[in-house]
Amino acid sequence: MITLGKAPPFATVQDRGWRSGRAMGLPRCGAMDPLLLAQANALVGNPPGTAGIEWALGAGEIVVEEPCEMTILGAQRVEVNDRPADPEHPVLRLDAGSHVVILPRQDSRFLYVAVRGGIDVPLVMGSRSTYLPGGFGGFEGRRLRNGDRLPVGQAHHAPLGGTVHPRHGSGPAAGTGADVVLRILAGPQWNRFDDAAHRDFLGGRYVVTTESDRMGYRLSGPVVRPNTAATLPSEAACPGAIQIPDGGQPIVLMVDGPTVGGYPKIGVILAADLPTLAQLPPGRTVRFREISDAG
Amino acid sequence: MTGSIPIVPLGESAWTMVLGDAVDRETHRQVTELAMRIQAARIPGIIELVPAYATLTVFFEGEGEAIRRSLAALADAGSLRGASAAAATGSLHTIPVAYSGPDLDDVALATGLSIAEVIRRHSGREYTVYLLGFAPGFAYLGDLDPALVLPRRPAPRTRVPAGSVAIAGSQTGVYPLTTPGGWHLIGSTTTRMFDPAREPAALLRAGDRVRFEPIR
Repeated sequence: MITLGKAPPFATVQDRGWRSGRAMGLPRCGAMDPLLLAQANALVGNPPGTAGIEWALGAGEIVVEEPCEMTILGAQRVEVNDRPADPEHPVLRLDAGSHVVILPRQDSRFLYVAVRGGIDVPLVMGSRSTYLPGGFGGFEGRRLRNGDRLPVGQAHHAPLGGTVHPRHGSGPAAGTGADVVLRILAGPQWNRFDDAAHRDFLGGRYVVTTESDRMGYRLSGPVVRPNTAATLPSEAACPGAIQIPDGGQPIVLMVDGPTVGGYPKIGVILAADLPTLAQLPPGRTVRFREISDAG
Repeated sequence: MTGSIPIVPLGESAWTMVLGDAVDRETHRQVTELAMRIQAARIPGIIELVPAYATLTVFFEGEGEAIRRSLAALADAGSLRGASAAAATGSLHTIPVAYSGPDLDDVALATGLSIAEVIRRHSGREYTVYLLGFAPGFAYLGDLDPALVLPRRPAPRTRVPAGSVAIAGSQTGVYPLTTPGGWHLIGSTTTRMFDPAREPAALLRAGDRVRFEPIR
């Protein structure tokens, strides 16, 4: 068992989410930065897709009831029993009763806590991810609170040990504040936008606004409008889809976002680049680069 | 115009097949028929199909080009149009409804019908499940009796109780979970439209048929 001695404002249990379920309106969910969670799992010897804690928006503390191995990736600083942990050796070997204080970074949103054996909450439809809008999955279908006790599962493999240098979330542009370039494929409604709109969209700098959460990130920048105001019958969408609603300001769907929608989708961010966007705090800027084969 | 169906990418892991650009029963019937053919073809790599009003999106893993070729081979618009209209394979569900929702009076007023007539017109027909979305288990059912067609509420509620039976535009549906919502609430049901512990979790699938039955 591990206890959230002090929970941050936003922490949930997540794994890779629901592989299928879109046909019944269930989004993928799972980690917003699945690459970072996967690295954390690998470090503690967990199989890919093991559930961990996705942690955001503030500092907190975990108390460990039994000895365990834990790694925390994406934090600014970790302290074990009041001593700073060595970032060069990210696998923490913790005795029973250890206190782990976690301080997040300012330049990236999500850090991940992986425990050897995984967070052993019940499977719901085959996943341990949390679907917050519906209140199911993960730990009681909700954000973690002070005092929550999380069961830890059985470990199967030996940890890799502490010599791996993990990627810390945001990628190379994180520290500089420069525009982050996100690669996109033309979306299903790309042709509903004329050449001028394409130029404005691809030439524009978009700011990640504070209206950004696990369902979607609202961006602010050059207005883009489709040729026709004709509504589109709702059709399937996906995480990374860039919707253009009535105001002409893009919304990028994220992992908890609705599975269908009627707004035109001008593009879809590549799966490899979506975690980079997910980690950008409000105020950071992005540009889009279209890489469809048609050029 | 050869009648081939456009197949466009939705990101790197899905193809959207576009059968039309409007909401109508015939196009949706073709979507349902196409989905059946693709399921039957058992194309390797496909994770799931998401039918919508006029499109069918195919989510897959791995290399997409081979899958696209297989889909193109099945995407013969002519034969979809000609396919038997009697291929209604979806299950019929009867959902008991207590017609006493908070917006029932307003709906009667706005449509100029008596409450009894609203109930009769809502419960008196068989609906098709067009698609699921917005929330797990939320099924868009159509088409409503034209006399009941109303725009959505100008201000959505922040909290619509699970089980609420609702109408908006030419659609009707049941809220499977407590969520915000902008449709007119005309009744409620105890039928669980979505239960994560049940197999299947969602009661309805695209292509199914639904009747509402008034209960006292």
